[in-house]
Amino acid sequence: MSIERFNDNIRNAFGSLEQRINGAAGGALHALRRSALEAFTTQGVPTIRHEEWKYTNVLPLLASDLQQSPDSDLAAHDLAALGHMPDVDAWRLVVVNGMVRTDVSTLPEGDAAVTVQMITDDLLASHPRVAAAFGHITPASAHPFVAVNAALTQQGILVHVHGRLARPLHILCVGDARASDILHTPRVLILADTHAEATIIESHHTVGTFQALDVTVVEVLAEAGSHVRYFKLLHDANNASHIGSTAAVVARDARAVCATVVTGGRFVRNDLHVRLVEPGASGYLYGVSVLDGTSFADNHTVVDHVAPHCHSEELYKGVYDDKSVGVFNGKIFVREDAQKTTAYQSNHALLLSESAQINAKPQLEIWADDVKCSHGATTGQLNEDALFYLRARGLPEGDARKLLTHAFAAEVMDHLDDDAIRTHMVALIDEALA
Amino acid sequence: MQPILTIDNLRAGIEGREILKGVSLTVRPGEVHAIMGPNGSGKSTLASVLAGREDYEVLGGSVTFMQKDLLEMAPEERAGEGLFLAFQYPVEIPGVSTANFLKTSVNAVRKYRGQEPLEAAAFLALMREKMKLVEMDQSFLSRSLNEGFSGGEKKRNEVFQMAMLEPTLSVLDETDSGLDIDALRIVASGVNALRSPSNATVVITHYQRLLDYIVPDVVHVLVNGRIAMSGGKELALELEAKGYDWVKNTVPVEA
Ligand SMILES: Nc1ncnc2c1ncn2[C@@H]1O[C@H](COP(=O)(O)OP(=O)(O)O)[C@@H](O)[C@H]1O
Ligand SMILES: [Mg+2]
Repeated sequence: MSIERFNDNIRNAFGSLEQRINGAAGGALHALRRSALEAFTTQGVPTIRHEEWKYTNVLPLLASDLQQSPDSDLAAHDLAALGHMPDVDAWRLVVVNGMVRTDVSTLPEGDAAVTVQMITDDLLASHPRVAAAFGHITPASAHPFVAVNAALTQQGILVHVHGRLARPLHILCVGDARASDILHTPRVLILADTHAEATIIESHHTVGTFQALDVTVVEVLAEAGSHVRYFKLLHDANNASHIGSTAAVVARDARAVCATVVTGGRFVRNDLHVRLVEPGASGYLYGVSVLDGTSFADNHTVVDHVAPHCHSEELYKGVYDDKSVGVFNGKIFVREDAQKTTAYQSNHALLLSESAQINAKPQLEIWADDVKCSHGATTGQLNEDALFYLRARGLPEGDARKLLTHAFAAEVMDHLDDDAIRTHMVALIDEALA
Repeated sequence: MQPILTIDNLRAGIEGREILKGVSLTVRPGEVHAIMGPNGSGKSTLASVLAGREDYEVLGGSVTFMQKDLLEMAPEERAGEGLFLAFQYPVEIPGVSTANFLKTSVNAVRKYRGQEPLEAAAFLALMREKMKLVEMDQSFLSRSLNEGFSGGEKKRNEVFQMAMLEPTLSVLDETDSGLDIDALRIVASGVNALRSPSNATVVITHYQRLLDYIVPDVVHVLVNGRIAMSGGKELALELEAKGYDWVKNTVPVEA
């Protein structure tokens, strides 16, 4: 059965990784991997009987014989063509099948306020903040695929931002699926120092026509007064599946702005956790999904108000055509100590076809009493009054529908303060709507 | 001269209920017609049927606009032909800026008429000129269409759009409601500035007040889906003094 084969593949991949790293198998990193493998074995592959995977069936993905394949020989010029952002002047960090490709990456040099390096046993030993964050912001117990990532990641990447980043850093997670069905597990830790400011873009790309599943984990530590913008772009091919988990821990007066745009791919599951752990922290979560065909996208978000005087805003929208299916799960926790919390959430879905579906579940758990929280959700078709208004002003019906659909989705991006990136994201949305 | 609009014994309804029960009306170039009537008499229904709202079912009669069968046309074709409806309740459209919307609208109508789209500079100049008419601030252009606009701002925006589209026939549905006296004056002078011997205006209103500023050639009183009475501009004053019950009582229902 496919689950058993997947379990075997994970164990075998772990075994070959152990051989590859040879001498380092006794180190702290490998100890993390080993306990992650145990965590995976304990949890097992989730089925729709698990509450958090109720609408999200991963079994069809496991019908393919997904294997890790760290030795990709994808040519530099093929990689250069991926994830091009005409409006955004970004550094590029290219990761192919989980391994960093320095030959095609363009990384900052000198005093660029950022260092990008591999996470090694030495680094963990010499850098207590990294050791405290890596594998701890998102522990392997978070969910079974996080455990898969933690067990199989050979190269964890540290992005350490010390100051104000002059350009965005674009991390491209590429799957080389030209020869066989693949599984790859990119892993990144973003450490933003006190008062640092960084824009990170994460995008996913599959080359080749075999099935590809990438299981990505990104941990973010936003220290006091820092400002982290994190943009995730998923506009991959329809043989590409993605299970991603991003968690941000946000300290005093720091701000994390996260935006996720899904405009393609066979299957997408995004977990985004934002933990506001000290007073004055704020989290902003934005998402747009534009799906058609039989695409599937699940956005699972958690905003955890741990400390008092924190603020969060969340806005997710989806446009679903054909037989596409969307899931939105938005949890807000307000812990007992988190007085004076303000937390707002809304999610809206536009169904353009009778067979499209959205399963939305907002979930507020509030233990503090002096808080302002709200959530709202809508599902529907285009507003007939608006449609008529536009037509009465001369717009042909098709154009009026397109304009309203565009406005519905693109409006989310108005909340972003970076013009170039907003332009790029709106272009992606428009391309998907065209 | 050919009439701009001829409504002949128009009957229309919604969800099986007849609301307009035989309305006839002829509007000629250069004229201003006022349609007054109590709430619920069918004024907005008439405006919606003219503009092509599909929720309403036409049950009988005909409407001819510039020698063409209006009822055969899609709403956007009616706009292209030169019909403009200023909505009683302008719709808020988040995410579409007023400027972008206007450009799309103006160019859609121009395309319908076989004209080239306006170039950016010409379009901007036109917007600036027309905004002055209704004393609208530039800042509205970058805001989402009608979103968060006050009642008065929405109505001014309707007249601004009317100015941009230069319609042959404008139907203003309660453009005066919710306006203070200053806003009313601005809106009315905007409408008056757009009047010409070749176009016409139908002003729908509940109150006589607006007609002090936009002086009608003909006043019609719509009661219970029928034009119960028509007359000159004095009729509006008489109505104001005597109330709608006067019409209901003096005119036989089947008039
Ligand atoms: N969309 C609709 N659905 C059901 N009834 C409607 C609708 N629009 C109008 N009506 C009814 O038709 C009648 C006339 O309404 P309307 O044309 O809005 O009147 P007026 O504009 O003169 O106040 C009212 O009784 C109203 O309730
Ligand atoms: Mg009305």
